[in-house]
Amino acid sequence: MTAAPYIVIDRVCKSFGAQPVLRDVCTQFRSGEVSVIIGASGSGKSTLLRAINRLEPHDSGTITIAGVPVGPHEATLQQQRTDVGMVFQQFNLFGHMTVLDNLTLAPRRIHRTPRAQANAQAMALLRRVGLQEHAAKYPWQLSGGQQQRVAIARALAMNPKVMLFDEPTSALDPEMVQEVLDVMRELARAGMTMVVVTHEMGFAREVADRVLFFDQGRIAHEAPPAEFFGQPANERIRAFIGRMGG
Amino acid sequence: MPIAFWPAHWSRLQRSNATLATALLLLVLVMAALGRLFSWLPEPIGSSAETFADGARTTLWLTLVSGGLGLVLGTATALARTSRWALLRWGARFYLWVIRGTPLLVQILFVYFALPLLVPGLRLPEFAAAVLALGLNAGAYNSEAIRAGLLAVPQGQTEAARALGLRRRHVFLDVVMPQAFKMALPPLVSNFVALLKDSSLAYAIGVVELTNVGNRLQSQTFQPIATLSTVALTYLVLTTLITQATQAIEYRFDIEDRAR
Repeated sequence: MTAAPYIVIDRVCKSFGAQPVLRDVCTQFRSGEVSVIIGASGSGKSTLLRAINRLEPHDSGTITIAGVPVGPHEATLQQQRTDVGMVFQQFNLFGHMTVLDNLTLAPRRIHRTPRAQANAQAMALLRRVGLQEHAAKYPWQLSGGQQQRVAIARALAMNPKVMLFDEPTSALDPEMVQEVLDVMRELARAGMTMVVVTHEMGFAREVADRVLFFDQGRIAHEAPPAEFFGQPANERIRAFIGRMGG
Repeated sequence: MPIAFWPAHWSRLQRSNATLATALLLLVLVMAALGRLFSWLPEPIGSSAETFADGARTTLWLTLVSGGLGLVLGTATALARTSRWALLRWGARFYLWVIRGTPLLVQILFVYFALPLLVPGLRLPEFAAAVLALGLNAGAYNSEAIRAGLLAVPQGQTEAARALGLRRRHVFLDVVMPQAFKMALPPLVSNFVALLKDSSLAYAIGVVELTNVGNRLQSQTFQPIATLSTVALTYLVLTTLITQATQAIEYRFDIEDRAR
């Protein structure tokens, strides 16, 4: 973990109305590192993730991606977003497009990749997530787990340098959680930089390089998983891990 | 020609195209052969067959042209209402407020009689005045149908598209608009069919469309049952063919196969 920090969060604040959700958050995400963010709902972990690609603009402080600040400038932002893949809790696949078209839309529009080439790349990604047979289907014809794997493949189609996962398994039936986690494990093994907001303690223990505990808009604690789960830093964290069945 | 008429192994697109093509072909054939069809009817219709046919063609033209105008205006207004710029939003609201709050008949009369006095030189012929008034009217109602469609596209769709790095234009054209259009389609079709019937109000400024022809003949022959039934039946044929065509379009977008 000696690589340069790829994403740097510096004193970031964000409020929804009078309600502060991020308070002076400072942290860094390095290339090749898998960071898992845990914490109670409403603690601000999803908001931080969404601030990184400016789906939720932050109020103050700075976020930089590869040294470039995340800001309102549209062209810069679009460039940054192509480098930052995102996977949502509700999948958000484009319902009017086939699985294949979901994957090829961004490369064709942004890189003007010819359709045949985009299709070939998309098929390779679908094989990687084990869904090559479903390329011609529409999202509604797939199970939740399959949809989320398509969503991961869609984000990978832009060759991002980092992947953000916003509670990727929270909307899934229990028996479908593993197939999504398997894909994420494989990604981590392949060296992808990942920031994962999740309640899957098993995944955090096994795959994470570091675990960040969010509490009331702050990073209350940060440690490697063995230490984080082995010797919980305080009672709050111990109680949280206990509740999550970790 | 219901969708189920076509072979079972045909794809959704093929069936949709086949239905659409057949409905449009039938529409053209019916319009072309209308004079002959009317001439087979008993008096007083038979002897006025060509006048009736011309009236029906005028009605259809009036509807198609003002319907096209209404679709363009409706899309523009819906976009203006969801715009980032307040001036556009206010303009769209004002337009909607005026058009929805006043009778269509008054709008037609206004465009024909009052507009030339307000804007010297803008003396529109009857048909053009009717197209403008009907188009403005349809545009207002269409804009609400399209806006409802735009608002019904989940926020997550836009977020996913933006998160991929797509430009605003592509987010809108590739992701939002197709889904909004699908949801706006049923009310748009209703508006279009309503427009076909509302075009009869152009009669008030002397456009010789179907209702006008029927009413003239009725007052000349004192045979209201025959003449007005023919008028009503002709509207029914037109609306039936048009809804067949629009159902084919709806079917094409119904990839979830929900509207059976």
